Amino acid sequence: MSERKLYDISLTVNDREVKGRVKAETTLLDFLRSNNFTEVKKGCEIGDCGACTVIMDGEAVLSCITLALQAEGSKVYTVKSLGTWEKLHPLQKAFVEHEALQCGFCTPGMLMTAKAFLDKNPHPTRDEIREAISGNLCRCTGYKKIVDAIEAVSKREAE
Amino acid sequence: MGSFQFYKPKGVEDLLKMKAELGERGLILAGGSNLLVYIRNGIINEGTFLDVKNLKPLKGIDTSNGKITIGAGETIREILESAKLREKIPFFPDSMKEFANPLIRSKATIGGNAADASPAADTAPPLLVLDTETVIGSHRGERVIPIKEFFKGPKKTALKPDEVLLRFQFSVPEAGKGVFLKFGLRNGTAVSVTSLAAWLALDGGKAVDIRIALGGVAPTPVRAINAESALKGQKLNEESILTLSEEVEKDLRPISDVRGSTEYRKDLTVELLRRALRKLSGTEAAL
Ligand SMILES: Cc1cc2nc3c(=O)[nH]c(=O)nc-3n(C[C@H](O)[C@H](O)[C@H](O)COP(=O)(O)OP(=O)(O)OC[C@H]3O[C@@H](n4cnc5c(N)ncnc54)[C@H](O)[C@@H]3O)c2cc1C
Ligand code: FES
Ligand code: FES
Repeated sequence: MSERKLYDISLTVNDREVKGRVKAETTLLDFLRSNNFTEVKKGCEIGDCGACTVIMDGEAVLSCITLALQAEGSKVYTVKSLGTWEKLHPLQKAFVEHEALQCGFCTPGMLMTAKAFLDKNPHPTRDEIREAISGNLCRCTGYKKIVDAIEAVSKREAE
Repeated sequence: MGSFQFYKPKGVEDLLKMKAELGERGLILAGGSNLLVYIRNGIINEGTFLDVKNLKPLKGIDTSNGKITIGAGETIREILESAKLREKIPFFPDSMKEFANPLIRSKATIGGNAADASPAADTAPPLLVLDTETVIGSHRGERVIPIKEFFKGPKKTALKPDEVLLRFQFSVPEAGKGVFLKFGLRNGTAVSVTSLAAWLALDGGKAVDIRIALGGVAPTPVRAINAESALKGQKLNEESILTLSEEVEKDLRPISDVRGSTEYRKDLTVELLRRALRKLSGTEAAL
């Protein structure tokens, strides 16, 4: 057996430089989780659920169907970049206020999708919000409260 | 797990050279929304990724000179948002609204969709209706083949092991408009079960240019030649639409690995065709 080839990788996660050695097939999801960014959730691992969504170079990206090596040199943000307990991001606050989470499994991905979306389209319609989060599955809330929360943030920002 | 390598080609020549060396072991990685799922599911367990995600020569949408050219590496989202395409042929970007969800659309490429050759690939019916040509490259040079000769069977294409899809090209039809309808099992991340694209130009109420393509009802996406010839030259009204749409039944071929019984898919396809024809002929409002 020949030695498995490993590749050097370097990127920033939440503005912190992260370096490592990965296999060719290591996903960005596994790379992040093995570097203690376990706030990125591992759901279906086949692009179906959106739990693993992070923001990469300004776009919401499914990290389970992205190779770690494809993120070389990129700026990646996880849900922990949004806010802290003391100082919650408006989206996080709105999710709490509107009870837009129950088990919370979908929330890290949902928040990152919502963040990337509002950055591009700050004043969307409810239909546009629903469409924007249609790749993020939630088994608990029935989506209405999530749409409410995102809409509330977009309205607040309009003031 | 077998073993994988990773390589990022520096240009098309480099990509074609690697593909010539590696053949089927060279795994072109565009959006990865099929390839990485196959690896995760153990269907593919070795090879060298050739990462073309940001490879410039596979990108680009050109609409000058009356011809539309779309690079194989354009994402579904880029196509959907292309103002140039919207101006020349709104039918094409509009068709992409049905594609999965925004997270998948920003990964999925048109080249990956065609190369994956699912019988229900969403870009296929619109591409078929527009008589699209595929431009294929290898170290031996370029060749051009019509899209209907590109699809060979479920997951089978005309691509040889050393070949790469470079771009798609078609002319905007002189008159008429098109529509794409899809019936999927689940909204959002649905891979469609049955889909239909149609293009219609009317002259004095008669169908002078009628083109129909179907997804998910045969081993490959297909042109519905029987329905087309039944409709060609006919006056389109509710009655003719109701009866002539039945002809599309002759264009269906069974596929073993697709959900939904044959009878059900037949009824669904007839109904999709009726809806498309009503929409395109403007008789919809009368109902
Ligand atoms: C959750 C989910 C939902 C989906 N929904 C839909 C849907 O609604 N409709 C639909 O049609 N599809 C759907 N798909 C399937 C998939 O997203 C599409 O087929 C997509 O277009 C594939 O493009 P890609 O760039 O991601 O391909 P990749 O996975 O990168 O590649 C796919 C295949 O094509 C080959 N390939 C890629 N580019 C080239 C090229 N230029 N030349 C030669 N070969 C090439 C690859 O080697 C691989 O074999 C879905 C997938 C997922 C995971
Ligand atoms: S874990 Fe990535 S989409 Fe489900
Ligand atoms: S809150 Fe449980 S999956 Fe969304």
